Amino acid sequence: MSDEPIVERLVQFGHELRGEGLPIGTGDVTTFCAAVAVLDPVDLQDLYWSGRTSLVTRRDHIRVYDRVFGRFFQSQHEAGHDEDVPSVSATTETQAVLQVPENEPHMGDAGDDPEITLGLAASTAEVARDKSFSVCTPEELVTLRRIIARMRLNPPRRRSRRRCTDGERSQLDMRRMAREAMRMHHEAPRLLRVGRKLKVRPLLFVLDVSGSMSDHSRNLLQFAHASRRAADRVEVFCFGTHLTRITPALDSPRLDDALAAATRCVSDWDGGTQIGESLRELVRQWGKRGMSRGSIVVICSDGHDRGDPTTLAGALKDLSRLSHRIIWINPHQGDDEDYQPGTLGMMVAAQHVDSIVPGRTLRDLEAFAASLPRLR
Amino acid sequence: MVGEGGVQGRKGVLELTDTLRGVGYLADRGLATALFIALKLGRPLLLEGEVGVGKTELAKALSVAFDCRLIRLQCYEGIDTHQALYEWDYARQMLHVRTLSADQVQDGEAVSRLFGAEFLLERPLLEAVRAGDQCVLLIDEIDRADDEFEAFLLELLSDFQITIPELGTITADSPPIVILTSNRTRELHDALKRRCLYHWIGYPTFDREVDIVKVRMPDVPGTLAHKVVTAVGRLRDRDLVKPPGIAETLDWVAALGVIDSENLDVESARDTLGAVIKDRDDFDDVNSDLELLVADV
Repeated sequence: MSDEPIVERLVQFGHELRGEGLPIGTGDVTTFCAAVAVLDPVDLQDLYWSGRTSLVTRRDHIRVYDRVFGRFFQSQHEAGHDEDVPSVSATTETQAVLQVPENEPHMGDAGDDPEITLGLAASTAEVARDKSFSVCTPEELVTLRRIIARMRLNPPRRRSRRRCTDGERSQLDMRRMAREAMRMHHEAPRLLRVGRKLKVRPLLFVLDVSGSMSDHSRNLLQFAHASRRAADRVEVFCFGTHLTRITPALDSPRLDDALAAATRCVSDWDGGTQIGESLRELVRQWGKRGMSRGSIVVICSDGHDRGDPTTLAGALKDLSRLSHRIIWINPHQGDDEDYQPGTLGMMVAAQHVDSIVPGRTLRDLEAFAASLPRLR
Repeated sequence: MVGEGGVQGRKGVLELTDTLRGVGYLADRGLATALFIALKLGRPLLLEGEVGVGKTELAKALSVAFDCRLIRLQCYEGIDTHQALYEWDYARQMLHVRTLSADQVQDGEAVSRLFGAEFLLERPLLEAVRAGDQCVLLIDEIDRADDEFEAFLLELLSDFQITIPELGTITADSPPIVILTSNRTRELHDALKRRCLYHWIGYPTFDREVDIVKVRMPDVPGTLAHKVVTAVGRLRDRDLVKPPGIAETLDWVAALGVIDSENLDVESARDTLGAVIKDRDDFDDVNSDLELLVADV
């Protein structure tokens, strides 16, 4: 490129895009300039495509690129086109005013001496372990949630295609045998074997955050947050009237930040429940694309579905074909062995899920965590 | 080859579009431009898009158009260097060691021959680097491989070189044309994307899709092509689990041809629906109001 002003303009364009949040490095701008050089553009379309192929790396960025391109290279400014992108931030704003669920209910920020709280924890933990979450005092809940946050989930494993030399071995390891034969001067080598590596199954949480369930789901959310940091692949979805994927929001290592971020994503805490519709959405949007394949799906809900039970049945049937196991945690289920599903939703679910476990007390959750590795 | 010299600028893009059309692949302006830039700059091209819009097909078309070999690496979970890059022929190495006498084993040369070209099994990536611009390398469905494999591709994609500890570094004299495809079952790493040019292939416009059918199946009457493309367009507008791609359009036309139907009506549509709808829920959904689908196509 010999034409300096053009280069300057292109670099400026790169800066403009970066200002809009696109991750554009100097290398990308250089590629863009090189692309323009080989194309020797005669019209805006060439310029548009050379930029789009060299500066955009994600489908979601195409919209932003289009907008900035229009603003930067075309003098005509389409007001209508411009408006729909910032509206994303507008909705975030509106959702942000929704009440942030308190991770530690009724505890003020001031005067909350951690040492005192911890002292409290030691004394109440045993007592509260078998107490239903719904009748726990706020202090007890704080303690219980601390314990939940420390629990580590250990999802079951499956054989992957990668090979390793420890564990169960079945195939001949020609590579090592050849090396050994060379080292030993053509002595007949021992038979060496290699097996398949084990890989942790992904976990997929689907949490009901509607009315009666929101407190319980917050416990589970803590669970999910803890395991997301421990295991490889954990996906978390929330639903009330519709489904929201909150996995990225749980990335923050600080629990409270993560929960606050998750809350901002979900707009229907304490709304009605459309379990069937939400699960159907999960299957169509994510399951069919392969997210849930081979995974353990953990659904936490009381089964109070306002939608059509056939939708729920269909969605669960599909989901069970697209995943390894489905566990349904029902916080209203007591300890008694001959529990009969009470709500229509639970009756439908009972036919399609692998097991329904109680989630009323901390001991229930611990039992669930302990049972996970056995779900081969 | 387009990579060196050749026509610059817009004319080059048009020429490339024509070349591809010559082998039955219709690229729109965006794709042709992206491809042209990739060829000129010697960069890999990462294609994303819905299934069945012709991502893999493009690589095949390129290899025919430029009359060079297509080397395809189908990715899957757990794929590693030994399946993608190279492997030593261990069985032959062991036989060879056995035939060496004690003296020969002392001799370094005989041993180093064990790690010579004779015992090296080429896998697709090494093959592509060796072939250089005499091949099109297609790394298909990269999203199926695990992310360790992506990291391993970085050296290859930026420098077109491969390091084999026993042999040293092998560099391509001139970079091959590299096409990567992804179905977005997971997000690829930015490090990989940064080494590639990116293009999202969407569904074609109505006219283009009719053109595609005509180019790929010259025997099909134009009216039938129109009808099928219209019906497929309606299917895409519906809320289907798996909307049909171009591949399905072509399958449908072919299926209608097989049953000797020159027209798309309720009956023939019902008989051949399996060519275009691949999900049971969608099937029930569409089958229940076929009249609407084929009305005034």
